[in-house]
Amino acid sequence: MIASPVLLSLGVFLLLVGGIGSLRFGDPYSRLQAAGVGDVGGAALVVIGLALKAGWSWELGVLGALGALLLFTGPVATHAVAKGAFLRRHRPKEER
Amino acid sequence: MMAIYQALILATAVPPLWRLWRGPTFWDRVAGANGLNVRVALVLALEGVLGGRAVLLDVALAYALLGFLGAVLLARFGERGER
Repeated sequence: MIASPVLLSLGVFLLLVGGIGSLRFGDPYSRLQAAGVGDVGGAALVVIGLALKAGWSWELGVLGALGALLLFTGPVATHAVAKGAFLRRHRPKEER
Repeated sequence: MMAIYQALILATAVPPLWRLWRGPTFWDRVAGANGLNVRVALVLALEGVLGGRAVLLDVALAYALLGFLGAVLLARFGERGER
């Protein structure tokens, strides 16, 4: 089965790219965007790759629950952090 | 197969750790904690499936849920109060 290592490697690559983006970008909103997109995409790819590896067993149900949880809570957490930063009057630089 | 994917994902956990350690703002620290939670949950799931220890899948599920709750609680607490 060739699809599972490919998906796992793509997920690791996406996590790595999100991390590099969250290191390199300049203001907190850009860092939040890079980290949020990279984390959600990488987590989804890694969980799908693991589900292909696990096959039809009870582990597939737990992996589905974990994937759905990571897929739905990642944007909610990013939104909560960005809303908090905005409400605490952290504006981007050019609007100040 | 060695635990190569676990090691790679732990290597990608370095930038969120850096943001948690010295983010310039409080919000960078919360985002770094969230990214670290996601990566630890993924490592637990990988070890559960590839390493043959299926109990760790339930641990990963509970860890992801509690990590999300912690990040949202920190964000909601920080948006109204002193940091």
